[in-house]
Amino acid sequence: MADDRLSSTFAALADPTRRAILARLAEGEATVSELAEPFPMTLQGVSKHLKVLERAGLVARGRTAQLRPSRLQAPALKEAADWLAGYRGFWEGSFDRLGDHLAEMQEGSR
Amino acid sequence: MTETAAAREITITRVYDAPRELVWQAWTEPERLAQWWGPPAWTTDPADVRMEVRPGGVFRVTSVSAEGGSAMTVEGVYREVDEPVRLVLEEDGEGAWHDGAVSELTLTDLGDGRTEMAFATSIRTTEEMAGTARAGLAASFDRLARHLS
Repeated sequence: MADDRLSSTFAALADPTRRAILARLAEGEATVSELAEPFPMTLQGVSKHLKVLERAGLVARGRTAQLRPSRLQAPALKEAADWLAGYRGFWEGSFDRLGDHLAEMQEGSR
Repeated sequence: MTETAAAREITITRVYDAPRELVWQAWTEPERLAQWWGPPAWTTDPADVRMEVRPGGVFRVTSVSAEGGSAMTVEGVYREVDEPVRLVLEEDGEGAWHDGAVSELTLTDLGDGRTEMAFATSIRTTEEMAGTARAGLAASFDRLARHLS
């Protein structure tokens, strides 16, 4: 079961620095320099991670001048969580229908 | 972390009031499989079911959701075929976030006209997925989403 957007979401989540950035953004929006503070990393490095998160739909950035504060986008995270739950749901739902189908097949043969 | 573990190892067992042959047919004949494949509100056109039920044979099913018309494809290769008892299907991870998944179907004749169907899927995780799981992030998505809304 493949979904391009989800695979980019999971790929974005693979990196520990990016997860730490998301955790920080869960507390509220922040600028690049605020985000860079706890990491031994250049602003450029943090910007690169933000771009990956942005492409994956996990982060949105403001338009205001140079600061461009970043915000967490909850729906993409929710979608990833739902997908994990959905993998099992796919089979459970299918097997319910299989039960109905088998019952119909039996009735047809009687 | 139980959510994470469940997402990577899925085991479902059902007992159907039907003979084993019938359950086997439902899994191995395109016309029949198309009638139950996918959750409610998903439909599968038998023309979009390709099954070469033999070891090394190709399996490919595309379903469409009623709302929004998004499509989903499950694609793989049969690793084992032991009619009417056991099927092993391997999905490759190409284009997926996981690194492939192996599903084992085992049908047991309960001797009273009923059949027990055991279905176990093992998802091989990519480094990406393993990292996500380690951080326990998958399990905390919902809480995070609530926190933000």
